[in-house]
Amino acid sequence: MSFNLIIDALKNPNGFFASNPLSLLCAAFASLFFVLIVIYSLKHMKGRKGVWRYYIYTIATYASTLGVLFAASFLILLIFWGLLGLLLYLMIAFGRKEGTPAAARKALIIVGATDVLLLFGIVLIWKITAGSSGFQGLLTMPITRSGIPLAGTASIIAYLCFASAAFAKAGAMPFHTWVPDTAENAPTPVTAFLPASLDKLLGIYLLARVTLDVFQMTPTMNTVLMAIGSITIVAAVMMALIQHDLKRLLGYHAVSQVGYMVLGIGTGNPIGIAGGLFHMFNHSIYKSCLFLAGGAAERKAGTGNLAKMGGLVKAIPLVFVTFLIASLAISGVPPMNGFASKWLVYQGVITSGDSLWVLWLIAAMLGSALTLASFMKLIHAVFLGQPSEGVKKILAEKKGKRTGLSTAIPLVVLSTLCVGIGIFAWKIPFAQLFRPEIRGTIDSPGIWQSGTATLMLIAGLVIGYLIYLAGTLKKARVVAPFVGGETLEENPDMRVSGVNFYKTIMELGLLKSIYRWAEKKLFDLYVVAGKFVAGIGIIFSFMHNGILSRYFLWFIIGLVVLCIVLI
Amino acid sequence: MTFVYLLVFGFAATAILGLITSWIDRKVTARVQYRVGPPFLQPVYDIVKLLGKETVIPAGASKVTFLIAPVIGISGVIAVATLFWVNQFFSEGFMGDWIVAIYLLAIPSLSIILGGFASRNPLASLGASREMKLVIAYELPFILAALVPVINSHSIRLSVIIDSQAGGVFAGNISGILALIVAILCVQAKLALVPFDIPEAETEIVEGPIVEYSGPGLAIFKLMKNMLFFTLPFFLIILFFGGLRFNGINILWTILEYVGIVAIITVIRNTNPRVRIDQAVRFFWGPMTLIAIVAVILASKGL
Repeated sequence: MSFNLIIDALKNPNGFFASNPLSLLCAAFASLFFVLIVIYSLKHMKGRKGVWRYYIYTIATYASTLGVLFAASFLILLIFWGLLGLLLYLMIAFGRKEGTPAAARKALIIVGATDVLLLFGIVLIWKITAGSSGFQGLLTMPITRSGIPLAGTASIIAYLCFASAAFAKAGAMPFHTWVPDTAENAPTPVTAFLPASLDKLLGIYLLARVTLDVFQMTPTMNTVLMAIGSITIVAAVMMALIQHDLKRLLGYHAVSQVGYMVLGIGTGNPIGIAGGLFHMFNHSIYKSCLFLAGGAAERKAGTGNLAKMGGLVKAIPLVFVTFLIASLAISGVPPMNGFASKWLVYQGVITSGDSLWVLWLIAAMLGSALTLASFMKLIHAVFLGQPSEGVKKILAEKKGKRTGLSTAIPLVVLSTLCVGIGIFAWKIPFAQLFRPEIRGTIDSPGIWQSGTATLMLIAGLVIGYLIYLAGTLKKARVVAPFVGGETLEENPDMRVSGVNFYKTIMELGLLKSIYRWAEKKLFDLYVVAGKFVAGIGIIFSFMHNGILSRYFLWFIIGLVVLCIVLI
Repeated sequence: MTFVYLLVFGFAATAILGLITSWIDRKVTARVQYRVGPPFLQPVYDIVKLLGKETVIPAGASKVTFLIAPVIGISGVIAVATLFWVNQFFSEGFMGDWIVAIYLLAIPSLSIILGGFASRNPLASLGASREMKLVIAYELPFILAALVPVINSHSIRLSVIIDSQAGGVFAGNISGILALIVAILCVQAKLALVPFDIPEAETEIVEGPIVEYSGPGLAIFKLMKNMLFFTLPFFLIILFFGGLRFNGINILWTILEYVGIVAIITVIRNTNPRVRIDQAVRFFWGPMTLIAIVAVILASKGL
């Protein structure tokens, strides 16, 4: 009986909802993440007060996500979009006893402010396309392939409004600052669910729909998108290099990777757009894997401070393996999935014909090397290297190396996907699934036979193994590490935690001042805007200080001005 | 079956040529220092000897990661060398392109870093972190320099890059020469040779990331480095000299080009002191990047 009701709703009599290949694929991924996050939360969120509320938020978030993806009209999209912002706030703040954390407020304000921009953009589109159809037209205006040319000021502003909303959701610059703060403060599954996967899918989905369907891009606007993408890639990853907190570092990567998607969509040619969208899916896979694995490590060590971790591989080997695979994927090491999509984006940039393509390509490729660098730091500081005092105690407890099933299942599934999608990238015609959105065929100027290359790498592994067999592996002996004749265990000062690996780079000429400005949060739109508003407030508080003589002065000045104007 | 042939050839030919290159390097170094130098087969003896030595694993380290790191590195070199050989011989292109080559070439460095991290040794940690910094330092000018042939030939397929130099090699253009200079210095750093042997710095951090390696593990790392010593000059020859050519007098040219690049690298390594890591980063992000940018601009102007 109720089953029929659902069928009826899905039959969609009033035309509120519609689907296309891209939104279907996004929905499939959202469902996968929903299931995995719920499995992970079973253990991670156990014992927290009012955990049922957390599950209700999760389900509501999932439902709203589907609402955005399948919205047929702008108004429906806006409603679910706003709902998601509110749910994000509630989920970040979940489990806090003392008031709301600043991170939740920041996320709400940034996302909420861009929601207003989204509304403004929708009104502008209504004005441009069907200005005379009345208010009724605004309410039911469908998201169609209208192809509004970016010619007039109104259409450009409308596009920028939509892009801002998409950027804020996905976490691209300059609306990115809520992502690292959220990553640091929110519960791990929340970060893995919202900023790392669903918000990326939604933000880039909106950007793709708006860029490809609603508007008709101009070369100038494409260049703007590519510039934003490149700056996001490099600037965010440079910030990630110097972080001290595990999840904050991952948060900066969640920003940096958006750059590749924006860059891909900004190329304006089928292969680049396919790469950008493919990267969106790949990113949500490995980034949620990284957050979940990082959360498990943090839970084990009892802290997220990189200086107090290290050597955790002995306690949680499975988590280490999945973390390593995901970090190779995010750094774009072949044959992982991150490489497959970055490779498409690069080709899009090369064939884009933009006059500055070398700059965008270099930013993207250097960003990839810097990503590898910051993940190497993370792997050293968290899993390898010399264990800290705290970790030594954990290792001594010998609770067993088993990772709980509810943690292991999501990690294994996600890291298998990282490898599998990468190897079979040429077999799974991912790009073909959303080809109608891209308009045009994907003909790649390069070659990447991931299957053959993987076979080659596996063969290399076998050769290396054979060399080991030819040697003396069987008689291996375990000896204390050689540290110039000293004993490591007796000299805890000799431990290298890895937090300051890139201090040399931080103190390099111009970079030094840029980092100093960044630490003062001069690039944080939220803080800068806050200071600006506070600055206006100072003027008013100066005028209204309650001293009678000051008021009298204003009165005289006003009278004089009035006299001059009237006479 | 073709695959097996390719693999055997890619591995065997690269290993043999790499060992020969390593011998040339050691012989020239010895002559510069007024020594006699090793016999021709010495690099092979070294590898065989290491295979017979004991495997030592540092206490408390992650055994699997420690032992698998050299294997990852050598598999990366084998893959990238095979990629170059195949694109050298088949003009339709195969397996991967320019982007794939650049990315695969990062795997050996990655393996050294992972191995160092897994050693549970502060010296190895320091060395590996320097290796990582060196990678991000040279990667910027290296990508820019390697872009010059791509701009000249309007393709990212290695086989097309080779074919389009049939009329005249890119090292003959002014942009090509500038890019080649930058690329050779980056190769110097990729091979971690003096003056960029900062990660290994025997005199201060005793071979850095590979301090704990012995026996077969060390043998694999040494073999990987020797193979890289062939593969990287091979990459430069593909990019700037139109690949290896085997017709008539060109054989002589190919050998000259190859030996020339190796000789330049060896001479640089014998006449310079080691620099600090911050100096290296400054050097690569400063003058080297500038020269590479000039080369790219010239190349896009068709010079």
